[in-house]
Amino acid sequence: MEYVSPEGLRLDGRRPMEMRQIRAEIGAVSRADGSAIFEMGNTKVVAAVYGPREVQNRSQQMSDQALIRCEYSMANFSTGDRKRKPKGDRRSTEISLVIRQTMEACIMTHLMPRSQIDIYVQVLQADGGTRSACINAATLALADAGIPMRDLVTSCSAGYLNSIPLLDLNYVEDSAGGPDVTVGILPKLDKVTLLQMDSKLPIDILENVVQLATEGCKAVANYIREILLENTKQLEYRRGV
Amino acid sequence: MSFKSGQFEAIRKKKQIPECGFKPTPKKTRLKIRSGAVASANGSALVKIGSTTMLSAIKMEVMTPSLESPDEGCLAIDFHMPPICSPIVRPGRPAEAAPVLSKQLSDTISSSGIIDLKELSLVTGKAAWMAYLDVYCLDADGALFDAALLSAVAALSHLQIPAVSMNDDGKIVLMSDDDGQKQAQEPVNKEKRNLTLRSIPFSLTCILHKNYILVDPTAEEESVMETVVTIALDTSGQLVSLYKPGGPVLAFTPSIQDCVALTRQRVKELKGILEEANSTMQVE
Repeated sequence: MEYVSPEGLRLDGRRPMEMRQIRAEIGAVSRADGSAIFEMGNTKVVAAVYGPREVQNRSQQMSDQALIRCEYSMANFSTGDRKRKPKGDRRSTEISLVIRQTMEACIMTHLMPRSQIDIYVQVLQADGGTRSACINAATLALADAGIPMRDLVTSCSAGYLNSIPLLDLNYVEDSAGGPDVTVGILPKLDKVTLLQMDSKLPIDILENVVQLATEGCKAVANYIREILLENTKQLEYRRGV
Repeated sequence: MSFKSGQFEAIRKKKQIPECGFKPTPKKTRLKIRSGAVASANGSALVKIGSTTMLSAIKMEVMTPSLESPDEGCLAIDFHMPPICSPIVRPGRPAEAAPVLSKQLSDTISSSGIIDLKELSLVTGKAAWMAYLDVYCLDADGALFDAALLSAVAALSHLQIPAVSMNDDGKIVLMSDDDGQKQAQEPVNKEKRNLTLRSIPFSLTCILHKNYILVDPTAEEESVMETVVTIALDTSGQLVSLYKPGGPVLAFTPSIQDCVALTRQRVKELKGILEEANSTMQVE
């Protein structure tokens, strides 16, 4: 099947180096300490952060740092066919672990000992790149909750189909059987915190694809900074500063 | 009890509840319905009442009808409270309110007779539609049942049954737009159609406290007071369900009648807003 036409257009009309449209909104869930909605094309994700608060399971309490917990779940109607088991399945557990470890790397946990920070991510619509959208949403939600972080964490995926590196795969391109590389970076510090890849890829091509995904991450980081700046201005107006 | 009365007094002063006991009914700006929020579902709606947010979506699958009712489809309703909605919901331990609300919602919708299950039939005895209605609470700020029922009803009115036909193996397949083999396939459901809704139920939750009735409580108010009454009426004014699950305050007939009168006002308001949401969706 042809994923990139001879004119250089993908199935949804994008160019190979073009990302899907991003949209983010802070403060969607009023009950949460911090929350955000993040959309990448048709993939729509809600993240809510509760914390720092008292550790619910005393045995897990750490005296020198905060405990980070993360849960990823997909709504029953998020995928094409209705999902029977949205939570306990292996994929969700794995992604929960990945998001937790990614965010743990950038949250300054030593500033909040004996406390717990819960990050919950709910996928409302899944069209490829849910992992990346979740990490981006979690970053915004943590910033909204005022939790101290070393840097933002942004993530983007890239693949390699028809011998062309493609940025930000959607569901159809992802299920094509080609490699799917997900990269998560700390943009200001220019460090890679998450790097995952499926399927096979020649090593000399890997560098190109990872570079492409990193560019995508930086674009997301710019957008997130704009959103946070706008949000801060709004807060200033409301405080009457 | 005295500790709770003190808290109630504090809330009363903060919210400026007049002495007569009725909190002013919420203004229309606080209530929003958006149909078609989930593009991948056959019918969906996002409802916000104050801060309480509910997202419901309907997915249709084909199934074989049961032997007792071969010409009827099925509607399965499920209510979920994911951990994002409230600080008291923990992962791994579903909220206490979730299965209760799930059953309440299921019962109210089936007893209101809003849809005729016969409309969900395809081929008598062989194939019928199974509609899965999932309601997700995204923000739990009190009066969850009202928002859940409204979003379920809005999703049902937005639902479009896909066009299908039966192929040679006797299986039902979705009709695609560029179907060149139309002659070989027998269309069972010619084009996308909406369900006809008969009587639509709307509800209102109130809190009874001494001689006050607090309408449409927030989570803060619900946590302080324990006696909750939920009344569901349909558009023709008939009582669909009345739910008062215990609580320290006893409900005398006048209070229940007052609640029903308040619900009647609310039904008019909600009906108008739902119709508006449906018409804006059709224009698009």
